[in-house]
Amino acid sequence: MYKVAVPRLDPGMQSGKIVEWLKREGDHVEKDVPIVMIEGEKTTFEVNSPGAGVLRKVLFEPGMDVPVGQTIALVGELNEPLPVDAESQQTPEPAMAQQTTVVPAISRAQEPSASPVARRMAREVGIDVSKIKGSGPGGRIVREDVQKAIEQMKTQPAAVAVTTQEARSVPVAKTIRLAGKRKATAERLSYGFHTTVPVTITMDARMEAVLDQRKDLHSRTGEEISITAYVVKAAAKALEDHQMINSSLEGDELRVYGDINIAVAINTPDGLVAPVLPQTNTKSVPEISRSIRDLTERSMQNKLVVSDLTGGTFTVTNLGGYGVELFAPVINPPQCAILGVGRTSERPMIIEGQVRAASMTTLSLVFDHRIVDGVPAAQFLQRVKELLEDPKKLD
Amino acid sequence: MPELTYADALREALREEMLRDPRVVLMGEEIGVFEGVYKVTRGLLKEFGPERVRDTPISEAAIAGAAIGAALGGLKPVAEIMYMDFLPIALDQIATQAAKMHFMSGGKLKVPMVLRTQYSLGRVHGAQHSQFFPSVLFQVPGLKVVLPSTPHDAKGLLKSAIRDENPVVFIESGMLYRTKGPVPDGEYVIPLGQCDVKKTGNDITIVAVSRVVTEALAAAVKLEEQGITADIIDPRTIQPLDLPTILESVKKTGRLIIASDDVKCGGIGSEIAAQVVEEAFDSLDAPILRVAAPDMPIPFSPTLEQAYMPNAQKIIEAAKRLIG
Repeated sequence: MYKVAVPRLDPGMQSGKIVEWLKREGDHVEKDVPIVMIEGEKTTFEVNSPGAGVLRKVLFEPGMDVPVGQTIALVGELNEPLPVDAESQQTPEPAMAQQTTVVPAISRAQEPSASPVARRMAREVGIDVSKIKGSGPGGRIVREDVQKAIEQMKTQPAAVAVTTQEARSVPVAKTIRLAGKRKATAERLSYGFHTTVPVTITMDARMEAVLDQRKDLHSRTGEEISITAYVVKAAAKALEDHQMINSSLEGDELRVYGDINIAVAINTPDGLVAPVLPQTNTKSVPEISRSIRDLTERSMQNKLVVSDLTGGTFTVTNLGGYGVELFAPVINPPQCAILGVGRTSERPMIIEGQVRAASMTTLSLVFDHRIVDGVPAAQFLQRVKELLEDPKKLD
Repeated sequence: MPELTYADALREALREEMLRDPRVVLMGEEIGVFEGVYKVTRGLLKEFGPERVRDTPISEAAIAGAAIGAALGGLKPVAEIMYMDFLPIALDQIATQAAKMHFMSGGKLKVPMVLRTQYSLGRVHGAQHSQFFPSVLFQVPGLKVVLPSTPHDAKGLLKSAIRDENPVVFIESGMLYRTKGPVPDGEYVIPLGQCDVKKTGNDITIVAVSRVVTEALAAAVKLEEQGITADIIDPRTIQPLDLPTILESVKKTGRLIIASDDVKCGGIGSEIAAQVVEEAFDSLDAPILRVAAPDMPIPFSPTLEQAYMPNAQKIIEAAKRLIG
């Protein structure tokens, strides 16, 4: 049996990302024939089969980041027994802060020329400006072009390419049916509950600005943005400044993650799932809202893939839709914290000495006191509240 | 509404303010007996006498200095510097004395004076009698700088300038003195620091100053024939500048041209462009363009002077560059 491993292409390379399997399980392969595309830090390259035989087992899905040296596939005779540990899917860790280098910014030269107002409008409604054709002087993308793209989105929502769509367009080798979600939930939460030291803090946020912006976006694009999307974005943004909360404690090692991947708890008839929005902080609120909608639909249809369910670094759960004002959720291990979102409702508040009705949401943060103390956790929650109360800052 | 020339509208403002307030006095070169080189002060010496309408020696520093002294002493002088080209001679008095008094005295002193002057670009007066450098003045905190473009605005703004408690530099355009426009009967004032939207459109904002407002309006007519409509905004005072009105328009059109007779380098256009980028970057749909004079002394040859000056054609070309 030949093992196919992620090669090291340069001394600094830590891991490679599976881009595409060029052969499928069961395909016959020759020695030195490319079977998989892997993306390193600098280049994308093909990895050849180390010997002739049948591609017996593919161990990682496209999109997954795999450490150098790790076996990703097995090639052997058709009847050769597989090693025992090759049966299970392996879950790689999200990239850690200490190991990740700065993500290279997209070169300005490669970007299409777009006017400032075109960029802002595209950002506000979550359209990728590079997908729009420019009609201004020298092919510049101008306001009118974005307006047309928004109109198109209204009439045919699927026509406008959205960055989150790109991630999903990667061919998926296979989907895994999540049988026994109830069991998985029980095991996971019981582990989380018994190993962490959970502490709950709560804070109320005024939601008028979010509600106004939502209404404004709806009137402009016809799109319904969920409150959860705003909270998810606010949490992602706040985690940028409060990295310690974007972490997990494993043995005597505290791992602070380099990516902010927020998991969103979704209820399905079979039980709870918490699919992940990769690099949530880089996505706009409308993009997040669309991604959550997509993940919810796929959760309901049991169509989530492994990459949807792994790599989460923080969780948001919203029971507001069921009339819950305040609750203390259980931390989703190995994460450090979970944010519970209550109902947005009109409550009597004292504003400038007057009792007035204000739209309020209670946020509850449950965090692992082994990792962070109360004050930094409170500062994080305060930041989330601030961002929700002035959603312009979410851009 | 009766039509008046720009010069007569200014004269009405001076006369009405002199009738209204005995503290208002005039001083300047050739403003009395000769009634001003452009006849703005016609008839005023006869009506108000030499106590209130004074011819001065040819010394701009003395004119400005005397005005400051008179203002501190309780009068409301309106002093005239015949050509803007001569104004730098008085710059120490204007920038270092008049503009500072109010602040250096903690608000105890007031210098309620108006310094009228004019620029003659377009009148074939050559490099030393045509200059227009408003930025030298709007860079001095403590000075208000007014630049009327119509007879109506000239009158209303001059009355406000005379009533202001601190120094105002009032820059007239020599090319506009004989232009006519409607001026309402009776008393009216136009507050300093308010833009006037001379025309409204959707595709482009053209901020135009003083003489160039007329050029911008002519450009707008031509552009409309090609389906491009413009907001034409006259700031009227560039210090203080009514930025909100300009921003509101830029947010609507996404495109901005600033057209003025000063040189491009560090001029009115530069300053307005910088402020708009700071406040409304995300509303811009194209680069901001300045239509201004080249960074060169003004040529004496009439042909070259015409080529040198900002005009409707140059504004149209800029608009086309932005809209494509």
